[in-house]
Amino acid sequence: MAMTLQTTRRPATARPRRRQILPDRLLPYGMIGPAVFVAFAIAIIPLCYALWLSLQDWYMLRRPTPVWGGLVNYRTLLSDTALWASFGRTWIWTIGTVVVEVALALPIALLLNRESAVARTASAVILLPWVTPFIVLGFGWRFLLDSGVGPIHALLHALGLAGDSSILNDPVGAFAMIIFISGWKGTPFLVIAILAALKSIPDELYEAAEVDGAGPVQRFVHVTLPEIWNTIVTVGLVLGILAFYSFDLPWIMTKGGPQDATTLVGIAMYKAVFLDLRPAYAAAISVVMLVLLFIASLITLRLRRRH
Amino acid sequence: MRHRSPTRELALDATTIVVIFLLLVPILWVFVASVRPETDITGGGLIPTRFTFEHYAAILAKKPFLIALKNSLIVGLAVAVVTTALAMPAAYALSRFSFGGRNFFALLILGTQMLPSLAVLVPLVVIIRQIGLTNTLTALIFTHLALGMPIAVWMLKGYIDAIPKELEEAALIDGCGRLGAMWRIVVPLIRPAIIAVGTFAFVLSWGEYLMALALISKSDVKTLPLALQGLFDPYSFSWGQVMAGGTIIALPAILLFLIFRRQLVGGLLAGGVKG
Repeated sequence: MAMTLQTTRRPATARPRRRQILPDRLLPYGMIGPAVFVAFAIAIIPLCYALWLSLQDWYMLRRPTPVWGGLVNYRTLLSDTALWASFGRTWIWTIGTVVVEVALALPIALLLNRESAVARTASAVILLPWVTPFIVLGFGWRFLLDSGVGPIHALLHALGLAGDSSILNDPVGAFAMIIFISGWKGTPFLVIAILAALKSIPDELYEAAEVDGAGPVQRFVHVTLPEIWNTIVTVGLVLGILAFYSFDLPWIMTKGGPQDATTLVGIAMYKAVFLDLRPAYAAAISVVMLVLLFIASLITLRLRRRH
Repeated sequence: MRHRSPTRELALDATTIVVIFLLLVPILWVFVASVRPETDITGGGLIPTRFTFEHYAAILAKKPFLIALKNSLIVGLAVAVVTTALAMPAAYALSRFSFGGRNFFALLILGTQMLPSLAVLVPLVVIIRQIGLTNTLTALIFTHLALGMPIAVWMLKGYIDAIPKELEEAALIDGCGRLGAMWRIVVPLIRPAIIAVGTFAFVLSWGEYLMALALISKSDVKTLPLALQGLFDPYSFSWGQVMAGGTIIALPAILLFLIFRRQLVGGLLAGGVKG
């Protein structure tokens, strides 16, 4: 990309168009402008506005217009134990989701890393949970787990994991179940990413390992795993960020209940705006979320190996 | 990969089929339930006794659901068209020109993709309320642009990079303007990719829940995900109808994704992700 049309000299046969020099220089800005505008309007401006909003005192029931509040929201936030509980829950949720994703995706990717027609078809249809909207999956799983009509509820009941009522009515059970579903939904993407990494490992590495007398387990630990490690960490980080910002699935399935058991920070934030009518406080929550996530991301990136 | 014995391959194929089936059961179950009679569903048996379209007929006779279907089509198509119209020139500029701030703009657009909607929900809702656009499809269309645009820019840029510059140079010599060269040479060559990104933007908007939930409360501007939630009346609802509604939302997303899988998977892996 070092060479571009811009820097290429115009062929002598072209009519001299001096008038167009300035428009030509502005043209790329004009072309990229609208997309950049959207990015600004939907990402940068809201983020800055959230920061400003978080410094306002704005409790819509008492005060219909915001006034400067300084750190009042952050002070409230520090002593809000329910909120910190939801932060703790969100970390468990995030790590749990990624663990489920890796645990399901790694064996599936190894299984699909073959040239057979079945493996090829499977790596296409496996994307279905990833592309199916949350609203459909949420209601689908509620149906499967319903104590009256759900076959998975019947299975869990038979295994003694669920009582007479749905597992979604049990605080611990519901939290664990929805973490699993969240991981299940994200698994296909990780499978595809790991598959791409597996396919790029040169066969020579395996042949060399075989010559050295390495068995299948040793080959996996010493050849495969190091080669796909960075993919797992990077994609795991992206999936972790998505999980940290989960809202749709727990809201659709349990509305944050039972007894706040599935109230993640995102749900607490949503309730702060739409039920408690405290947008400024919600903005402060979202700022704290961003800061915590930024720190966690830096830590995760240190897990990458340098080659 | 290396060669393995045929029986081993066969065993692995069989394992693959079982694993994929288990993984997809929850989605298959939605489809199956949508074509089973209600008595079958509440009976709790696993084997369908009869095949029926009564649930589809029932929800397609409901006015709120039809309005939502129309709204989702309007929003999705507008998002698809605007996303492509914004992404195409941006991708072309990133691929073909060198200009000050190019890397910054590229990073900015890609960064939007990494930002979850929830992170900007509160400020966006307040801003949209202040400019009086709550309960409008316009607000939804605007916020949905963020869903697919970054991937669209990234994918199209990859395709344009692969086209030899000489083709446009020839057109420029023949007297085409820069935009004319893009429109007549580049756009036709990457038409499949353009259709793919438009489709992708449509699919993401079609199933979007959070922004719709936050911005829309009036029934005449509700989209399909909200209408599906509306079918779930706590006092009397039909699982069959909810699953039929779910199928109507899931099916276009699944079919379009499978059709354009080849283009989209590469773009997704390159440009980050959003579910």
